[in-house]
Amino acid sequence: MYAEHFSEPATSHVASAPIEHQFYPYASNGGTILAIAGADYALLAGDTRHITGYSINTRFRPSIHTLENLGGPERAIVVAANGFSADGDALVRRLAQRAEWYTYNHNKPLSVSACARLVQTMLYGKRTFPYYVHTIVAGLDESGRGEVYSFDPVGSYEREQCRAGGSAASLLMPFLDNQVNKKNQYDAATGLPQVATDLPLEETLKLVKDAFSSVTERHIHVGDYLEIKIVTKEGVKVEYFPLKRD
Amino acid sequence: MDHMPENWGRPRNDVYGEYQSAIHNAGQGPQSRTQTPSITGTSVIAMKFDNGVMLAADNLGSYGSLARFTDQERLIKVGNETVVGISGDASDQQYIELLLERLLIEDNYPQDGHHLRAPHIYEYLSRVMYNRRSKIDPLWNAILVAGKNDDGSPFLGYVDLLGVTYSSPSIATGYGAYLAIPLMRKIVSEEADAKNVSEEQARKVIDECMKVLFYRDARSLDKYTVATVTLDGEVKMDKNVRCQNMNWRFAEGIRGYGTQKQ
Amino acid sequence: MFLTRSEYDRGVSTFSPEGRLFQVEYAIEAIKLGSTAIGVATAEGVILGVEKRATSVLLESSSIEKIVEIDRHIGAAMSGLTADARTMIDHARVESQNHRLTFDESMKVESVTQSVCDLALRFGEGADGEESVMSRPFGVALLIAGVDENGPQLYHADPSGTFYRYDAKAIGSGSEGAQAELQNEYHSSLTLAEAEQLVLKTLKQVMEEKLDAKNVQLSSVTPEQGFRIYSDDEMKAVVERLEGSEVPLV
Repeated sequence: MYAEHFSEPATSHVASAPIEHQFYPYASNGGTILAIAGADYALLAGDTRHITGYSINTRFRPSIHTLENLGGPERAIVVAANGFSADGDALVRRLAQRAEWYTYNHNKPLSVSACARLVQTMLYGKRTFPYYVHTIVAGLDESGRGEVYSFDPVGSYEREQCRAGGSAASLLMPFLDNQVNKKNQYDAATGLPQVATDLPLEETLKLVKDAFSSVTERHIHVGDYLEIKIVTKEGVKVEYFPLKRD
Repeated sequence: MDHMPENWGRPRNDVYGEYQSAIHNAGQGPQSRTQTPSITGTSVIAMKFDNGVMLAADNLGSYGSLARFTDQERLIKVGNETVVGISGDASDQQYIELLLERLLIEDNYPQDGHHLRAPHIYEYLSRVMYNRRSKIDPLWNAILVAGKNDDGSPFLGYVDLLGVTYSSPSIATGYGAYLAIPLMRKIVSEEADAKNVSEEQARKVIDECMKVLFYRDARSLDKYTVATVTLDGEVKMDKNVRCQNMNWRFAEGIRGYGTQKQ
Repeated sequence: MFLTRSEYDRGVSTFSPEGRLFQVEYAIEAIKLGSTAIGVATAEGVILGVEKRATSVLLESSSIEKIVEIDRHIGAAMSGLTADARTMIDHARVESQNHRLTFDESMKVESVTQSVCDLALRFGEGADGEESVMSRPFGVALLIAGVDENGPQLYHADPSGTFYRYDAKAIGSGSEGAQAELQNEYHSSLTLAEAEQLVLKTLKQVMEEKLDAKNVQLSSVTPEQGFRIYSDDEMKAVVERLEGSEVPLV
């Protein structure tokens, strides 16, 4: 009986829903990461620049995290989640906590492969509201060989010899394909494709520093300092290397 | 007497035209927690010096382009040796103040001699900000936390509505990131630089930054507060500071917009 | 025997003044009514054996299921209120699969045992008045056998939620006699075949019925083959071997 009082006038131009405001829950905080596995080491490097838009928020924000593990310093796992730094921080914090619980519950070191699968379940667990990050996990396997795992934001992952992630990944990756995996390199004598072999650590370190110095020239999100974490049977070593600040 | 309750309390049809019942009939629509800030505070700037951290924020509360409140205090003393500087939405600022007050009360119950320091307050605020953004219900602020680390060194951190966090020896929110940061980084660019800067030098730069911000940030005020956290555990709040030695002569020379004819 | 304890028998989670939880103790008693189950761990693998007590000649003995698989590398034998074991086994299977899914590796035998025991004390009233899952303790004990990176292992989990690792363990009605026999016969260099015989021999001693290939069941967990329940043919073979070994040499 009240219906006629509320019937909508044909000429109504009143909005039938509240005005919606946009809040975008993500940002890009720049930076680039790079991991390479060798016969007896794994290395994870990243620049320490943190940005929003064209602003440098800070020149020094180390982003390679170490997960201490049972079974001695050589079982430590290094991890970096590059992209939206708040999500990256949240992911790494939760991962560190889960890794700790694992050692309490099972009284053994978390292997890099188990850690990688754990990262997948955590990333995919937020499939509908993803952590906006490119994640790389690195460490040594039981036999002391280097392992690198890389992930997309929703948890697809793969074990690789090397991987670049973040702002300048598209600049670094082809260089790595060529220099580490010997793609498009042919033996001068036989004309056969060259086979990728494990690089010695010294050579890898030079490669990584050169790669970052070069990428700093070409990408404005990269610069300031390079942080390199190297996992060997001696444990995790950290190195810093200055990059251009412009 | 109109006996239809649904007609009560509405604009009179004979005066305002027929009531647009769509307003009443409008469903709730999609759930929308997202807000847009209404009363806002502009930049907060801060830099470290040899004996602590210095912050500044002006006293303006803007309502869009209207200078609505001119006595807003945006630098909050939290505990005895920490200052939190808040830019962005003023009501969310008040809520954050409430949270910090509760946090401090809880922390004081045990009377165990433990006091929350800047890093702890910063960590807490970071969790709050990130959790709220993850509910798509952000607190619309960018916050600086200044104080002392457990080891007695100066602490300065940034967290915003997205939960993005970082530390640097000089930080500014809002337009300060464009206008004040270059001035502050001239003397404190690296962590190590802070040791070579005295409180007086820092104050000079901070005052200069606030003046530049008042020149160029249309939502700013020439009245501001400077807070100084020193490593001896002292917090000085210098309130109602005014921009000094301003020179607006350049305004006459500006061409291309405004009221001037040629 | 328990007649005088009625006052503290009421609440399932009420301590008696001497500090005992009678309902849990009764639950442990319930296991002694169950059929005998035996586990023997060797360096080559673990053998589980159970007695399948046929209560009627019309009972189809193959329908008695007292040894179950938890995962490829873990199995369990039960004694007591075997229906209760379904809850525990189901939980163990889910936990083990979940571990595989989350960590890309098989779950350790000890961790699986721990996760089963975590269930054991979820009876009675919840802490904050929340609904509890179970009204009483489990009336079943498990022998959990498995192989992981630490080699073959045998665990015993009881209704109190306590678990211990054993070289050889017997539970159920004949457990006292069987445990004594195991204690005498066990040595650390047993082969898997010897363990089979030890389990059968011990079962035979404590069973009321005459042991045959139908009223006992064996299973093994080995690094090579994982968990396996013996087929009828294999059962026949090992029982024949047992009988053969017992023919006195003339």
